Amino acid sequence: MNVIEINNLTKYYGKERGIIDVSLNVEEKEIFGFIGPNGAGKTTTLRTLLALIYPTSGSATIFGMDCIKYGTEIKKEIGYLPSEVFYYDKMKVIDLLKYSASFYKKDCSKRIKELTEIMDLDLHKRIDDLSFGNKKKVGIVQGLLHGPKLIILDEPTSGLDPLMQQKFFELLQEENKKGATILFSSHILGEVQRLCNRVAIIKEGKIIQLEKISALQENNYKKIKVQTTANLDQDYFNIEGVSNLEEKQNIISFLFRGNINSIMKKISDIEIANVWIEEPDLEEIFLHYYEKGV
Amino acid sequence: MNMFLHELKAYRKSAITWTSALVVLIILFLSLFPSISKEAEEFKKILEGFPEAIRIALGLSVENIGSILGYYSYIFLYISLVGAIQAMNLGLSLISKELREKTADFLLTKPITRTQIMTYKLLSAVTSLVITNVFYLVTATIMASWVEPNEYSTKVFLLLSLTLFFLQLIFLALGIIVSVMLPKIKSVLSISLGTVFAFFIMGALVSTTGDQTLRYFTPFKYFDFAYIVQNSGYESSFMIAAIGFIAIAITASYYIYSKSDIHAV
Repeated sequence: MNVIEINNLTKYYGKERGIIDVSLNVEEKEIFGFIGPNGAGKTTTLRTLLALIYPTSGSATIFGMDCIKYGTEIKKEIGYLPSEVFYYDKMKVIDLLKYSASFYKKDCSKRIKELTEIMDLDLHKRIDDLSFGNKKKVGIVQGLLHGPKLIILDEPTSGLDPLMQQKFFELLQEENKKGATILFSSHILGEVQRLCNRVAIIKEGKIIQLEKISALQENNYKKIKVQTTANLDQDYFNIEGVSNLEEKQNIISFLFRGNINSIMKKISDIEIANVWIEEPDLEEIFLHYYEKGV
Repeated sequence: MNMFLHELKAYRKSAITWTSALVVLIILFLSLFPSISKEAEEFKKILEGFPEAIRIALGLSVENIGSILGYYSYIFLYISLVGAIQAMNLGLSLISKELREKTADFLLTKPITRTQIMTYKLLSAVTSLVITNVFYLVTATIMASWVEPNEYSTKVFLLLSLTLFFLQLIFLALGIIVSVMLPKIKSVLSISLGTVFAFFIMGALVSTTGDQTLRYFTPFKYFDFAYIVQNSGYESSFMIAAIGFIAIAITASYYIYSKSDIHAV
């Protein structure tokens, strides 16, 4: 079952491009990553889903309901964390969380307590006395306190220290295990790689690739480094499927895509001191997509 | 309900400030009344020295300055000026505050429609104006009966005082419609001061021309104090104009607000 279905969603801000013809589905209980550089249209897509902005054309459904028409109904089950969190400065953390909880017709006090303990948050400070990272924590608790079925996060980790990031990811994975679907945008590929099942890559307002993380990594790319014993012309490896060929102090490195046997034969024909064959990380693949401008 | 209370709390400080200003102002004004009424004749002579146009622009009618109602309708012009600024401020910040303080994302991702948000905000704004008016009215009534021991029409006094509330509703509606049409308002006070003073000055100019149609263009002239004193009632055509304006402005605000994009910070 699809929790989110986006069909040919297009948004222009006047004449300025937001997103063009974005279509994608997020399945139930999936962690879906949405990656692209700043200004690519990640936030625009998420804000349209939340009916904060209205699409120019196309539509989207959440839980099978139109996200604009049934926005209020849908939002009962959504937890949202914006990339920059701002709250009523003069309120205390606890009052803000209680105010947030009061919009949902359920008792959230237990969950508030649990979450603030995990996030190590001081409930009795005023919002404007909090650091950026601590405000973000308030945002996280605020987004999760009603046990939403769909969690939408816009660049969730900016401003969190690595330790908190770790805790936060664990929290998300736990929510996911309990049945929550998670959609989050990021330009940090490491975190997408770590958490997500599937990703969509967005560039200049258009989706350029929609893939399972595993497929994206497979895609038959191998990162190969060969340390040779004797000086070897790097052009030796310049065969079809090889890219990013470099040589540094007898170490030749390149990316290879194609039949793995052909490159293995090439390697076995020469004297080598060492060889590394690695999965390229998403970052490298990603750059590849961007450079080629698929 | 939660939102209503939250909003009410948010305006508490400014409501207290403006209410105190109005209360202090009316106490000051009315405490001057005994000395003015005692020397009404002298006062009239000074006023008659003023060019007529200026007297009319300031809303001074020389014959009545010695009576509490005449005096009250004169000073009330300044009370309504302060009240209008309060209401316009409130109306302008109602929606734009959430954008300026960047809390719109928080509110609008809650399971609540924009229509509900507008309704709660509107209700809390009107409530805070009602509270201001109650305090003002009580103070003004007590002060008036204290400085004027003689009999006077409390009905007319009440009718005059209530125009503060009506005028505030008009400026509240004006503030709201301006804020949904220009969502990127940076400084609320400068816009509200500018608008209110513009209408105030326009009101003064309109009085000098005596043109009835021009009166429709400035809320300050919707309530002719001399007419109220004479007839113990409001002019129905202007009441209809006021109600019409409020209704249109509020309806349009609901519509624009529910259709507009809430941009990211």
